[in-house]
Amino acid sequence: MRNKRMFMLMIGFIVCIAVIGFSLSDRKELSWPEKFLKDSAAYVQQWFYKPAGYIAGFFEDISNLRTIYEENEQLRLTAAAYSREKINYNFVEKENKRLQEELDFTVAQKAMYNYNYLIAQVVSVSNEANNRTLTINLGSKNGIKPNMAVTTIDGLIGLVSSVTPFTAAVTPITELDEASPTFNLIAVTIMGREDESFGILSSYNKETSRLLMTKIAEKDKMAIQDTVITSGLGGVYPRGLVVGTLESKQLGDFGLTYTASVELAASFDHLTEVFVVQVPELEDAE
Amino acid sequence: MSMNRIILLMVLLFVIEGAVMPWIIPAGFGHRIIPHFVFVMVIFSGLYSRRHLALILGVSFGMLQDIVYFGHLLGINAFIMGLMGYFTGVLLERRRSTIMMAISVIGFACLLYDSVIYFVYSVFRITNESYAWALIDHILPSLFLQLAFALACYVPVRKLFEGQNGVKPENDDE
Repeated sequence: MRNKRMFMLMIGFIVCIAVIGFSLSDRKELSWPEKFLKDSAAYVQQWFYKPAGYIAGFFEDISNLRTIYEENEQLRLTAAAYSREKINYNFVEKENKRLQEELDFTVAQKAMYNYNYLIAQVVSVSNEANNRTLTINLGSKNGIKPNMAVTTIDGLIGLVSSVTPFTAAVTPITELDEASPTFNLIAVTIMGREDESFGILSSYNKETSRLLMTKIAEKDKMAIQDTVITSGLGGVYPRGLVVGTLESKQLGDFGLTYTASVELAASFDHLTEVFVVQVPELEDAE
Repeated sequence: MSMNRIILLMVLLFVIEGAVMPWIIPAGFGHRIIPHFVFVMVIFSGLYSRRHLALILGVSFGMLQDIVYFGHLLGINAFIMGLMGYFTGVLLERRRSTIMMAISVIGFACLLYDSVIYFVYSVFRITNESYAWALIDHILPSLFLQLAFALACYVPVRKLFEGQNGVKPENDDE
């Protein structure tokens, strides 16, 4: 009896290791049982997540009533600034288009920055401390592909890690890690100095809850409190998504480059709507 | 009948864990207080029902959780939930545990569960924070949530599982 139990335990352990090994391998796509289970779970969960959000949102609104006056004033200021800048933007965009025509830009080059923002609802949040995967209700049927960036109004929150026909799993940016085999690095720059600054988001420190930005050049003039945005270099992730604010800058490990810590702009609690950024397909010519 | 009810309850808890709890937990604590209600139910089933039921429930709901929230690894939750449910059953299924006993067993089981998951993740280098920090950051805060949940649902769940035991005692030797 005891031996049998021991034997079963060993078999269970081996199966577990085998399954972990299978999931660690570089899979392009999920297997169909996974897709089926994920889709059906998301189908049920969406009935619960949204109503719960409405109820919670109602109570939050009540507590926010006091601050609404100040917020309104701020919004009015931003709206005024926006309408001024919109006029400016229209001129610049027209000029830009004219120049592109004159320089014979190809169709692909012109469409390179025409990002498509797909709005998605969060369906559920994982209940594991080290794996805070979000599920959203758009999938490969809606044109979602792995590695697309996901943002909220505040800023970048993560990347799509796997898709099923009707849902997609979003790995939050807090699980960014250089050593992890599943995560790519994101090139960033500073808002207002897009062509001068460069850095790479390499990992997230959970203990201080700051992102680590590395490979900053020595002469880079980025300053504390600057807004960090994605630069779009590398062509995988879109450009111009807010990541956070620069908090401190220090000399890197070898003294050749600088590293900086970045405070995230987006919060991961009580998420409802997120935007998936669809980058136009580049031709595979290169 | 009773078995259907147990599975329905577990599925409901699984959905609540992922879809309702993120709203109930106050903003700013989302990554610190993490519900493991399904796991608590697996331990309950080990305490008040048969160990094989706990094993099956643990493996199947652990696997469900692994697949639905697949991020890095597949299969740890299934393995650990099944194993811990089974061993709770082996140690304690013959005794009629009191409420204090049950709550303390659940507390220890939750600590162990979170710690084992932390160590598995750190073996595969998915996390690299220290254990002491993980303990303070999320293992202990979520322990309180689990204990509160276990206390709140103790009476109905015990009835449910003990009723299940009485209906089919002959299946004990499968």
